[in-house]
This record gives sequence, C-alpha cells and structure tokens, in this order.
Amino acid sequence: MTALIAAISLAGLVVLWILFPLLKGLEAPMSGDDVELNELLHRKKVALLGLRDAEYDFQSGKLEEEDYRALKGSLATEALAAMDEEARLLAQRASTGPEGRAGRRAEIEAEIAELRAELREGKICPSCGLPNARNARYCSDCGTELGRGTPASPTPATG
Amino acid sequence: MIALGEFAAWIALPVAIWGAVMGFAGGKQGRGDLVLSAERSVYAVFALVTLASAALIYAFMTDAFQYWYVYNYSSRELDPFFKFSGLWAGQRGSLLFWALNLAFFSAITVWMNRAKNREFMPWVSGILLSVLAFFLTITLFITPPFEQLAFTPTDGRGLNPQLQNYWMTIHPPTLYLGFTAFTVPFAFGLASLLSGRLDARWIQLTRKWILTSWFFLSVGIIFGMRWAYEELGWGGYWFWDPVENASLLPWLTATAFLHSIMIQENRGMLKVWNMSLLCLTFLLTIFATFLTRSGLIESVHSFAQDLTIAFTFLGFMAVVGAICAALIWSRRKEMVSERQFESFFSRESAFLLNNLVLLGAAFAVTWGTLFPLLTEGLTGSKVAVGPPFFNQVNIPIGLVLLALMGIGPVIAWRRASRRNLRKNFIWPTVIGLGVFLALLASGMRHMYALLTFSIAAFVLFIIVNEFVKGTRARARIEGENPFTAFIHLVRRNRRRWGGYIVHIGVVIMFVGFGGAAFDQEVRQSMEPGDTVEIQSPFGHTYSLRYDGLSTQQGQNMWQMIALFSVEKDGVPDGTITTERRLYTAPPQPVTQVGIRSTLGEDLYVILSNLDEQVGIGNNPDHQRATFQILVNPLVPWIWYGGLVLALGTLIALWPGAGSAPSRAVAAGGAGGSRRDPDPDPDGGPDGPSSGPGETGPGTQEGPDGGPAPTDREREPVPAGAPS
Repeated sequence: MTALIAAISLAGLVVLWILFPLLKGLEAPMSGDDVELNELLHRKKVALLGLRDAEYDFQSGKLEEEDYRALKGSLATEALAAMDEEARLLAQRASTGPEGRAGRRAEIEAEIAELRAELREGKICPSCGLPNARNARYCSDCGTELGRGTPASPTPATG
Repeated sequence: MIALGEFAAWIALPVAIWGAVMGFAGGKQGRGDLVLSAERSVYAVFALVTLASAALIYAFMTDAFQYWYVYNYSSRELDPFFKFSGLWAGQRGSLLFWALNLAFFSAITVWMNRAKNREFMPWVSGILLSVLAFFLTITLFITPPFEQLAFTPTDGRGLNPQLQNYWMTIHPPTLYLGFTAFTVPFAFGLASLLSGRLDARWIQLTRKWILTSWFFLSVGIIFGMRWAYEELGWGGYWFWDPVENASLLPWLTATAFLHSIMIQENRGMLKVWNMSLLCLTFLLTIFATFLTRSGLIESVHSFAQDLTIAFTFLGFMAVVGAICAALIWSRRKEMVSERQFESFFSRESAFLLNNLVLLGAAFAVTWGTLFPLLTEGLTGSKVAVGPPFFNQVNIPIGLVLLALMGIGPVIAWRRASRRNLRKNFIWPTVIGLGVFLALLASGMRHMYALLTFSIAAFVLFIIVNEFVKGTRARARIEGENPFTAFIHLVRRNRRRWGGYIVHIGVVIMFVGFGGAAFDQEVRQSMEPGDTVEIQSPFGHTYSLRYDGLSTQQGQNMWQMIALFSVEKDGVPDGTITTERRLYTAPPQPVTQVGIRSTLGEDLYVILSNLDEQVGIGNNPDHQRATFQILVNPLVPWIWYGGLVLALGTLIALWPGAGSAPSRAVAAGGAGGSRRDPDPDPDGGPDGPSSGPGETGPGTQEGPDGGPAPTDREREPVPAGAPS
C-alpha cells in the first residue's frame, strides 16, 4: 500500500513538473544570449587567436615571413571587420535602446573606435594580443618586445 | 524501495519520449513553453534513472536474490565493493548504467546552457532525450534488470571471478563515461544541422565535451589494459579482443575528430568531414556498447547470446546513420570549405593524413573484429583473425601516427617552405637516425622496435624543443626564472601545451609497446627447490627458486600461493608470489599474476597449472606446479605514459582562461580600464565572454627586468621605451 502511494505520488510529481510550463505558460528563453553580438565576438576571438598563433609560429620559425605577413594581414582584416560590425551593432542598439544606456554605449563605442584605430595603425602584441601604438617597442601590457621599425600594418579592412 | 526504483524506470521512458517530442516541436515552432517542458523532462529522467539505479544497487547490497540479475551476478559472500559494482557487471545493469551516465551528462548540459546558446538547446534536449529513450526501451523491454524469479533462491550464483578485481570495477564505468559524454557533442552537432547554424560555433561549444569524452575513453582503455595484464594472466595487455577493439574504435575516430576540428576552426575547411566524423564516432560508441553487451562475437567479456538486442541496436544505428547522412546531405551546400589545401607540405595536410591514418586503423580493426561474423554468415563457420593480423596492419599505422605527432606541431600552416622544413626537421631527424644507428650497433635487429624507438626519439626531441624554445622566449621577455616561465607558458595556452603533453604521453606509451618485441618467456614444471633462469633483454639474468606452495582460505575462495626467491645476477633480490584462486561462487579457477615492476621491465610469474592434487595440509611432496615466467621489458612505461597523457588532457581541459582568448582585447584592451586580473572563474572556451587571464601574465615586470609601467590605463607605450 505504501509502495502504491509512493509510486502514485512520484508519477504525479513528475507529470506536474513537466506539464507545468504548458499549463502555466512558463517559457524557456529561446535566445538567452545575444546571438548576433556573440557571433561577432567569436569571429574576433578566432582571428585574434589566429594572430597569436601565427606570431608564435613565425617567431619559432615555423612560418615563413611572407606567409606570416599574408596570414597576419588576412587575420587582422577579419578581426577588424568583426570589430567594425560590432561597433555598428552597438551603436545601432545604443540609438534604439533605453536612454540610460546610451552614455555607456557611447563610451564603449569610443573605446572600440580607439582600438580600431590602433589596430589599423599599430602593432598587435604577439604574446597577449593587445594593440599597441605604431611606434611602440614593447607591449604596454605584458612587455613583450614588439620589434623595431616594422609597423605591422595589416591590410585595411576596406581594401 | 526496489519496486519504487523499477517503477521510476518505467516512468522515465514516457517522460523521455515526451521530452524529446517537446524539444523538437519547441525548436521547430520556436515555443518556449515546449522547450521548458523538454528541459524539465531531462532533469526528471535524470532523477528517475538515478532512483532506478539506486534501487538496483540496493537490491545487490541487500542480497535480493529474487531478482534474476542479482541472483546471477552476486552472492552472499561477495565483497560489498563488488556488490556495488554489480550495477555494471552484467548486460542488464550496464544498459541502465549507460542511461544513468547519459542522463547525468544531459542534465549537466541543460543546466550549463540554461541561459546561453539557447538557439541550440531545443534540439539538443530533443536529441539527448531520444538517445535516452532508446536505452530505456532496451533496458525495460529487452534486458530488464528488475525481472523477478518465481522463487527466492537462498544464495546467488556469484560474480565472475575475473570481474572481482578493482581495475574491473573502474574500467567499465570510465569507458561508459567516455561513450556517453560523446553524445553531448553529437547532440550539438546535429542541432547545428537542424537549426542551420553551421559555423564553428558548435565546435567551440563542445570542445570541452569532446575532450572530456576522449579523456574517459583513453583512461578507460588504459584501465582495461591494466586489468588484462594483471588479471587474465596471458602475459600481455592487449589481445585484439572484440571488446577491446570496440572501445578502441570510437577512440580512434574521436582522436581524428579532435585534430580535424582544429582545421575547421583555423582554416574553415573540412566541415562536412568533421560532421561525418562526429556522427561516425557517436555511432561507434553505440556500436561499442552493443558489441560489449550483445555477445555477438566471442570475447572474454561477453556472456549473452540474445539476438533481439543485436537487431535492436543495429536498427537504432541504421536509423541514426540515415538521419545523419540525410541532414549532412541536405546542408552540404552550406558547409562548403572556405579555403583550399595549398600544399602537401603543410600542417593541414599533416592533420588530414593523421585523420586518414586513424580512420584506416579504425577500418582495419572493424574488419578484423567483424571478420568472424562475416565468415560465419558466408561459410557457416567462424574464422577469427588473431593478433597477427591486427599487429601486421596496425603497427605500421601506429608508426606513421607516431611520426605525425612530431611533424604536425612544427610544420607550417598552408605551405611549408624548404627553409621551414630544414630548420625544424634537421636536428630531430639527426637525433632519430642517431638513435636508430646506436640501437643497431648495440645489436638490436627487430625492425619495428628500431623504428619505434628512433621515431619516438625524433618526436620527443621536437616536442621537448618546443617547450624549451617557448620557455626560453618567455623567460627572456618576462625576466622570469625558467620554472615560472614554463608554468606561465603552459597556463597561457593550455590547449596547445596540454596537447603537446598528451603527445609526450603517447610517445612514452609507444616506447612501452615497442618493448613487446623483446618479451622473454620460460615455461616449466617445478618442484619446491627447483630453480629457473630467465634472461632480461637488458642483459641481466634473473634466477627464481620455487620455495613452495601454501594453501589458504580467503573470502569466497581458496588461494594457492606459490613463493619464489629471486636473484638478479646472483645477488638476492627479494621474493615474488603468484596465485591461483579457486572461487567458490561461482566455482572457477583464476590466476592472480605475480608482477614485480622496475623502471625498465616487469618480472611476471603465472601459476599456470597445479600438476598434483594439492591438499589443505600444505604437504611439500605434492606441490609440483607449472609456471610461466616472463620478463616484459618497458611495460611500466605504458602506465607512466598513460599518466602523462591523462595529465596533458586535464591541462587542456581545465576550466579557465588558458584555452580561451582574451576579453581584454574586446572590452578592456585599448584602455585596460576594466581589466580583471583574475583568470576567468567559470571559464571554458564556450563563450566569447571568457576571461582575460591570458593577457595578464603573472609578473608585472617590464621588458628590461625593471618594474612595469604602472599607468596602464591609457598609455600604450611603456615608460622608458623611446618613441
């Protein structure tokens, strides 16, 4: 008898648990994260990781200079394109978003613009990926030597 | 309690089916309520299957012999530890256990993704629950673990003595964890096909799952080798037994997959190939479970001969295979490679070659495993191919793989120039050749062993050199001492360096395998006082004196223990014992090998036969017995290599920022104003929001060893660096 009651309650609990969302209209988030933004961040991440690896491979002699430059150029272009789009997306959101956020968005936007400019003109640290000024000799974050007089200006995103 | 567990298993099936339908419908219609119901079903199935498994363990612990499964796999005298492992000792329990593992991983997956990657989750829940529903169906209808006998026997028939070994209690669960964990990446891959999100995102999301599965598969296989080595008493660790092969197959394709996804991530190539490998590996995990538990092919592991289960599994695999093929076909135009292969001498082609070779091995192993079945179908008599076939095919394949482990890491992407090849391969080749010639000069004539050791030296030199170069560069740049530099180097890109450590482990294991070429064996019937000599390939001579046999009663068994005094080159070197056990339930003799390990070799003694009726009185006149004495060189290296492999995988797996790129570049890079000095705590490469730890080296010293610039807020040029 006890077993029967236990079984019925178990079944009842389970049925209630799985049917509750349908009965009460509870919903699981269908797009919890920002798919579009994530996609861009991911593209940027892959490109920057690629840059890091390319740099490592070049430093350790696995990549020829010519290939390295080509690879670096295309990867930087990719990173830049993702950043551009990210900035546009954020700007678009900021203009349509709530008032309070606008200031913060603008701040981010400014930062991204700065980053982009640095990427275009400057050197990306081979070891940590931080974009440094064009004439920097050492990475301002990790101190890696950036090489003298070779501003690795990538192919501009716009062609 | 037990009845409630059985009932729970019965509710779990309809819940899983319901949830699967809800998941697919919710994904199709974009309805959050259906998806929530599906996800709740995952949790519910996990809870219910846990309850059912707990009930089965309870049945074992309380000697509930009215249950067929408990009666056949346990006995009153059985050690409680082995009673607990009864859950996976036989077919019936192990399929429930499979479901338990999968339900556990499914619940974790749903929980971890409750607020992210939502576009995948309806499909993922649906797929995971479908697989669960399949295993629950088999468990309930074909191999019911809770089936009751018409009466209650006073005692059970006992557990197969060969399974009463601690390796055997952890080897199957580890493998099962590996098999089931692979269902998660499979679900994500299929979800990306279903939802049309075909970029590398699903790979990003599941890389850790793939590694987790690979980790458990590798460790599980090594545990199985260890069990075979200690318990089966055949003198070796791998016999190309169908079940060993079955566990090796998904490992081979998963290894191929782990490498080829790197090409997709880095170069946008091989998308269809990767998806196919994913499906193939999943099918092979199912195939492995099926082969292990259906008893279709004779094996040391199999006990059942029921064909219903065989056809059910084959049917399931056929359906899954067809669905995968149809989905991949329908999306083929969206999975076009973004780039082309440029040169044979490139890292891409090294990876591709690795893939082809691994698949070749998988094919050969499958062929050899299924050969008895094919011959039986065609000619009516089973013809098994033995280890010679497998060795003949797989040793060359293994050597190619071994060489690729050295070539892959240092060959250039896209196109390797002559200079690249010269620069990276001259010294390793010289070292490899040197080892080859040195061994040849020392009298070694076994070609495969010579190749194994020299290629191993080639690879080891390359990988160690990578570490040395990386550490040196870092030590120079950061002004760190070599040890700190090494730690930071590995921490900052754990995926790369963890992978290299895995390679080192595999190289060490290969050296261990190579030792098999020099196994020494003596088989002799001996009386107490007799002495036998055996030569080690390392040059010394062991002399073993048989001191006598003692008989004693242990739990659930009689033990006959033979004692030997060992001398190494005439110098006393301790003793070694070897046993033969006669289990009482079920009555069955089992050898318990005596192994003495040193760094270079194992002395391995088997009591293979008692030549006279041994009484309990320990009478020295009736103790003639036949022994096999082996010297197995380099076998310990296999276990050490296994440890290194596991360590490397854990390093690559460890959550945190080391394997992820930095957010600092995205959010705080330019200004650094919001930089967080701690590595990403919840980590994982699965979100672009992974932490910035990678960009924050441990020390803050400047390039010249002096203090780093303190103002890192806005000024990208370090103080002291002239513009």
